[in-house]
Order: sequence, then C-alpha cells, then structure tokens
Amino acid sequence: MTALLTILLSFAGAAVCGLMRPRDHRQIRWVALGTSIAGLAVALFCWQRYEAEGGIADLVDIPWIPEMGVSFLTGYDGISLPLLLVTGLVAVCGVLFTWDLKERANEFYAYFLTLIGGVYGVFLSLDLFLLFVFYEIAVVPKYFLIANWGGERREFAAMKLVLYSFAGSALVLLGLLAVYFAAGVESFSLVDLGHLTERERFTPGFQAIVFPILFVGFAILAGMWPFHTWAPTGHVAAPTAASMLLAGVVMKLGAYGCLRVAVGLLPAGAQVWAPLIAVVAIVNIGYGALVALRQNDFKYVIGYSSVSHMGFVLLGIATLHEVGMTGAVLQMFSHGVIGAVLFAMVGTVIYSRTRSRKLDEFNGLIDRMPGIAWVFVIAGLASMGLPGFSGFISELYVLIGVWKSDYLTGHKGWVLVGAGLGILLTFGYTLVKIHEAFFGVRHPDGNGAPLKPYKPMTTPEIIGCAILLGASLLIGLFPQLLTGVIGPSVEIIINRLPG
Amino acid sequence: MSYELLLYALMPDLFVVVGIFLALGLDYTWLRGRGIEDRNRVVARVATWSLLLGLGAMAQVDFAGINVGEGQLIYTQTSITLKALVFVLAAVVVELCARVNICRHVSEFYALLLLSTLGMGLVITGGNLLSAFVALELTSLSLYAMTALWQHRRASAEAALKYLAFGGVSAAFLLFGLSYLYGATGTLELVRITQYVAAQSELPPLIVLAYVFILIGIGFKIALAPFHFWAPDVYQNAPTPAAAWVASGSKIAAVVLLINLLAPAFGDNPAPRIALGTALAALAVLSMVWGNLAALRQTNLKRLLAYSAVANAGYLLVGLVAFTPVGRASVLFFALVYSLASIGAFGIVSLLADRLDRDAEIDDFRGCWKTMPILSGLFFVFVLSMASIPPLAGFVGKFYLFYAAIGSQPDVAGWSEGWYWLVGLALVMSVVSLYYYLKILKPFLVFEPAGAPLERPANAASATAALAVLAMLIVIMGVYPQPFIDIFRSMG
Repeated sequence: MTALLTILLSFAGAAVCGLMRPRDHRQIRWVALGTSIAGLAVALFCWQRYEAEGGIADLVDIPWIPEMGVSFLTGYDGISLPLLLVTGLVAVCGVLFTWDLKERANEFYAYFLTLIGGVYGVFLSLDLFLLFVFYEIAVVPKYFLIANWGGERREFAAMKLVLYSFAGSALVLLGLLAVYFAAGVESFSLVDLGHLTERERFTPGFQAIVFPILFVGFAILAGMWPFHTWAPTGHVAAPTAASMLLAGVVMKLGAYGCLRVAVGLLPAGAQVWAPLIAVVAIVNIGYGALVALRQNDFKYVIGYSSVSHMGFVLLGIATLHEVGMTGAVLQMFSHGVIGAVLFAMVGTVIYSRTRSRKLDEFNGLIDRMPGIAWVFVIAGLASMGLPGFSGFISELYVLIGVWKSDYLTGHKGWVLVGAGLGILLTFGYTLVKIHEAFFGVRHPDGNGAPLKPYKPMTTPEIIGCAILLGASLLIGLFPQLLTGVIGPSVEIIINRLPG
Repeated sequence: MSYELLLYALMPDLFVVVGIFLALGLDYTWLRGRGIEDRNRVVARVATWSLLLGLGAMAQVDFAGINVGEGQLIYTQTSITLKALVFVLAAVVVELCARVNICRHVSEFYALLLLSTLGMGLVITGGNLLSAFVALELTSLSLYAMTALWQHRRASAEAALKYLAFGGVSAAFLLFGLSYLYGATGTLELVRITQYVAAQSELPPLIVLAYVFILIGIGFKIALAPFHFWAPDVYQNAPTPAAAWVASGSKIAAVVLLINLLAPAFGDNPAPRIALGTALAALAVLSMVWGNLAALRQTNLKRLLAYSAVANAGYLLVGLVAFTPVGRASVLFFALVYSLASIGAFGIVSLLADRLDRDAEIDDFRGCWKTMPILSGLFFVFVLSMASIPPLAGFVGKFYLFYAAIGSQPDVAGWSEGWYWLVGLALVMSVVSLYYYLKILKPFLVFEPAGAPLERPANAASATAALAVLAMLIVIMGVYPQPFIDIFRSMG
C-alpha cells in the first residue's frame, strides 16, 4: 500500500489547495511543496526497499468493475521506480521554481498536483483500464495549466497539446480493447495478460496489426516524429512548472506506455516494427537537434532538444535488447531531470530577469549573471551527455544496445551512424546556443555606461537546480543505483520475445 | 387483474397525479391574486413533494413480478430503478424552475412537467405497444407545450411549433410502425412479439418495414441525425429548465422504448440482428459525424449542447448495434449518465443566464471562475463527463459502450466484420468533441471577464445543492459503477 500514498497524497494535496483562498498563496505553496516532498519521500522509500529482482513489489489488488474484468491493481517494478523518482524530483522542483506565483495560486496547484497524482498513477498501474484512467487524468490539467498561466499563443498551444494527447489515447483505447478481447480471459491486468503473452496467446499476425496502434498511440505523447509538433509549442507556451512537468514527466508517460504495454504485451509485433521505429527514432534525434539549432527563442531550443532526447528513448526501446532498453529507461530518468532544469533555467531563472527569451536580445549575460550562466553551462553539459552525468550513461547504454540488438539487422550500421551524428549535433546546438545566449553580443547600452548586473539566484532556485543536477550527477557517477533495478525488470520483458 | 392491484401498481404515479391537481387547484383558488414569486414557490413545493412521495412509494411497495394488463405495466428491478431516477431528475428540474419566473402560467408549467414525468415513467414500465405509444405521446405533448411557455421570448413559440410539427410527423411514423408490427404478429404485447419473431426463420418484410418506421419515429425523439433538425432550435429557445428536461428525461424514456421495441433482436434468432444492426450503425455514424462537426462552429452554448446531444445519441447506438445484454446495459448506463450531465449543464446555464434579456453566448460566461467558483466547478464536472474524461461517469459509460460493441464480435479477419471500425470512428469523433467541450469550459475557467462578469445568481442555494447532487452522482457512477451496471444487467 505504501506506493499508493504517492497518488493519494497528490490528490489530497490538490483538493486542499483547490479549496484554499487565492489570496493565501503563501500557505498554498507550502502545502504544494509539502505534498510533493512527501510524494518524493514515498518514492525514495519504495526505491530503497525494492529488492524484488525485477518482479513486482507492493501489489495491491482490489476488484473494481468485475463486469468488465477491471481491477484496481497497482504495484511497481524496476521500470516504474526510476520514473516514480523522477516524478517526485520534478514535482518538488516545479513548486520551487514557481515559488513567486500569486495569480490564482490555489487553482494552479490544484491542477499541478492532480497532474502529478495522475502521473504517479500511470507508473503504478498494473491494470490497463486503470492505467488509461490515470493517463487521461494527467492530460486534462495540462490544458488548464497552459491556457491559464501560459505565455504567448497559450490557448492554441494548450488545445493542440490536448487534441494530440487525446488522439493518442483514442488509439490506445482501441488497442487495449483489441488486446483484451484477443486474450479472452476477462481481465485487463497487465500481470495476467503478460502471462498470456509468455504462453503465446496472441498470434504474430494479431500482434503485427495491434502493436503499431498501441505504440503510436503512446508514442504521440512521447513526442515521436512526425507527431511531435505538440511538444515544442506546448512546452514553450506552458508556465515553467508545467513545462518542467511536460518535458520531465509527461513525455515519459508515453514512452513508458510504449515499453510496458506495447512492447511488453505484443513482443512479436515489436520485432516486426522495431527496424522502422529505430529509423523514426533517428529522425527524432537528428531532426530535433537540427531544428533546435535554428531557433532564436531559447525556450524553443529546449523544446526541440526534448524531442531529440526522446529519440534516444525510442531508439533504446527499438533495440529490444536488455542493455538498450535499460538505457531507454535510464534516459527517461536522465532527460526528466535535465529537461526540467533546462526549462526552469530558461523559463523562470533567466526570463524573470531579462524579460526576454530571444537569443539575439540577450546582452552580455555572462557578466551580468555569471552564477546563473555557469549553472546553465553545467546543465547544458549534462544535456549533451558529458561523462559524469546521467545522460552519458543512458546514451551509451542505448548505443551499446543498438550494437548488440538482434532485430535491427540490415541497417544496424546506419542506425549507429545516425545516432552518433545525432550526439554530435546535440553537442553542436548546445554549445552554439550557450555561446549565443551568454557569451554572444556584448555592447554597452546607448550612453556607454556598463550594464547593470541582474540579481543572483534566489534560494528556492538554487535548491531546485541543486536537486535536479545533483540527481543527474549522482546517477552519472553511480549508474548502478538505477541500472541495478531497471535491468532485471527489463529482462522480464525481453524474455517474452519469441524465438 | 383487480382494481386493487392496479391501484397498488400505480401508487407512485397517483401521487404525481394528485400533485398535478393540487398544483392547478391551489393556483386557481388560494393563490389567486398573489404575486408570481409566491405562486411559483408554493407550486414548486407541491411538485417536489408529489415527486418525493412518488419516490417513497416506489421504495416502499414490493413490485416484484407485477405485470398488469398484457404487459401495460411491467415492473422489474431495472424499470423501477429507471423510473425512480426519472423522478429524481424531474425533482431537480423543478428545483431549477423554482427560481426563475418563466411565465405567468405558473401552475400549468409545473403540471406539464409532472405530466411529462408521468408519461416517461409509464413508457419505462410499459411492455405493450399501445400503452407505450400513448405514454410517449403524453410526454411529447407536454414537452411541446413547455417549450412554448417562455412567453416573453418569441423564439420560444417558434421553436415549440417546429418541435410540434416534427414531433407530430415522428409520432405518425412510430404509430405506423407499431401498427405494422401489430398487423404482422397479431399482438400488442412485446413478449409475444418477441416469441413470434424468434419462431420465424426469416424475417417477414412487413416486420422489417415496421422497424424502419419505428427507427425513424424514435430517431426524431432522441435527436438522431438526420432526424434532429428540431433539436437545436428547441434546446436554444425553450425555457432552459424545459430544455434540460427535453435533453434528459425524454431521452431516457425514448431510449428505453427503443430497447424494449428491439427486444426481438436480442433473441436467439439472428435474422433481425443483421438488418437492424446495419441500420443502427448507419444512424450512429451519421449522428456522431454530423453532431460533432456541427457543434464545432456554434457560439450559443445551448445550441452547442443540442448538437452535442445529437452526437451523444450517435454514441449511444454504438452500444446497441451489438444486441447483447451487455450492450443493452451499456446503453442504459450511458443514457442515464448523459442525462445527468445534461441537466447539470443546462441547469448552470439557467442559473447564470436566464435573467439576461437576450440569448447568452458562450463569451458571456467569461470570468465566472472569479465570481462563482462553485458553479464553475460544477460546470467543469458536467462538461468533462460529457467529454468522457475519467474518473467521471461519462468515461465509464462510453468505455462500456465500446466494450459492448467490440465484445459482441471480437474475432475479426477483416475490417468489414465486427465493430472495430465503428468504435474507431466514435473515438475519433470523441477527440473532435473535446475541442468544443474545452471551448465552452474556457470562459468559465480560463478567461478574464470582458467588462463586468455575470453576477452571482440570487437565491440559488437549493438549485446549487440539487446540481451538486447530480455532480456527486456523476463522480460516484464514475468511480464505482458496478452497482449501477448490475441493475441494468438484470434487465430482460
């Protein structure tokens, strides 16, 4: 029951925040911070206690709608654990980076915590119906977070994001029903259905048809090219805490569904489609990076870099190899924390001082905000996948996975070259954009007086950056902390592959 | 059949009949010359109490297995529950009417409301062609009159005339269909008709023709495209509580009648299933596409809800094409859930906008979150339930429909078999519908008011409480739907 506390606490926190008065925004943010810290603590506690060797821990099974074989079935394994952790981390930091929010704070945190609760719910669900319910609960608050507190073109961006998400979930729903009726055991339980997969209940022909429906449905939310266009507009228009969640956590919902549901239940279908997915993943990496290189709006740079990084997750899944898929899960964690810190820096730390996100309007930032600039450089290095940070380990795992994969025969070499080029491009745009932002134009303003320095980072900002970058560094230095739990769980899915 | 039994079985309805006479009588005598507010208050209380006493009678009396006069009154757990729910919904509508002075003819309006409730109850418990038709027409005639009673709006009378004209034609179609059914089978009792059809190896053409007419007739009543043309005008221009009632109670009654009339297709004989299934699927496709696409470009909230009602009638048929007990239960569940959300949404509009002297546009509701967070929150629940967002009941309802449709024929070799294609289309249309549901939520929850926002309605406490009960029901049915499903599964 312990893990369920994450969901319950988040929803309870959302209710409390929603019922408070808007003018009590100081108290509200403390409630939100307390709730998200409690969620993180529960996630850490689960991680610390997890020793199931890849199996499912903390199983809760309550019959819910027996008519349709739906049960309230939750638990976590090595794949959900890193994602629970990243959700907790990003939630805490999201509150920290929104510390000054005053306008309609009660509603903001009610939506925010509902979203968090839904995300925890997806990662803990072991019943497809329940998973779908939480998946949709996580989508709706995003609309209101963006439409209410977002930046320019927020209504358009919010609507686009929600329609894309729901188009994806419509596909998912169709796929779920197909799997359910093909299984014929009147159960939506991932555990039961997983056993049936192992006993080859689903014919290869069925899997080849239904797998792409489920995979694409989930992958839309993971930002898969060519369905990624909601992501940059959504990320850019969203308020900081929401774009942190979007990039850090919500895109992972999609990738998690791809891995757990699509590949986990229909492995033979995955085998058929893996080569194509790998190609699309390469396009994701390269296209995202190239578009990021062309942007002038700093937030769009980060938005497209998210698309690019999610390409590695998809590539890792497409390897259908233990190392590659471990890398994919690790990359979800890694991009979760790094994407969040980048959005926080651009959306709040820098924007609140410069009142601009245009790279060509920044003027001498390295002198005027040296501390912030160096923190951003560190975050950029982490995003590039510098050794010592988690991104390095996860991308390395993915590449090794591609190398070892048995299912990318024929164009494995090209995939490797493509991924390698993608990493180079990532280096390229990160360095170029850091240069443009901080070390670029340095001319004094009109009367020749030196430019005034900006105020340094506030305490909540420092704590938030330290938590997120610290997490990336910790996993970069001690990857065994996560790979040790991810590996055995991924192996269970790998073992379902026929042949 | 004894009179004693008849009186016993009609006890809930008798309370309502007494309520009607009491309301009219009090208004004509004791309340004569009083102000309209006084009259409205007293008559509304009479109406509420007659409905509550009727509900009490339903709870007290043991109806098990009552079957009066060749199926003219059949009580089962399902029919009793539905009838009780219709009474509850009627009580909510009374609560909504009680705080606006719709017209000078106070008691007549409530009497019509109670009469239509009576009709709906009798449709639901009817298992006989004649009584069901008469009861349905009792409902419809009352609704036509209620539509016309917003006396200071000309459009109200125009809408009522349109409703009457379309409704009259539909009643003719329905009656024609029923008479063919009678002619072909020689009985008015639905149970016997079902037995007759089950015994035929091939469906007689007369019966096929009968069902074509019946589908057209009932298609009008539940606003299926292409028989929906009356709906937008009526929803927009009827007194808002009456529109809520047209959208909810009358829909439940017509859906139950449709299910009852389709009983032969649920039997072992597959012959009626094939022909009827195709016809229903075609109507479903048309309604979902037409309703959703037309709703996209509406700027009037009530008119938009009318097109959304057309779309929802389409979804409803998706569950019915399967002709399985699961499908029947899913259709009833969905119809009920949709009605709850519908009354809720219209109720909010009535509370906020009925005091304006013009038609409220969607943009008039800008900034409601600021002045009335509770009503905005309730509207949020109702609309999200219509948009089938979990954990609200609308989601479970729609999921159950799709589950039933696909489950009736899960093994498919090609796309032409099974109902995957229909469910797929319904899912696509649900995504489309999300656009306009969010569009109507935006002013309530997102936008800053342009100019002065709508003021908080005065003396709305009891109406708000009634709407809150609806919202709670929606949440409960979404989070814990099994007990409701059990009731609907026990039918037939």
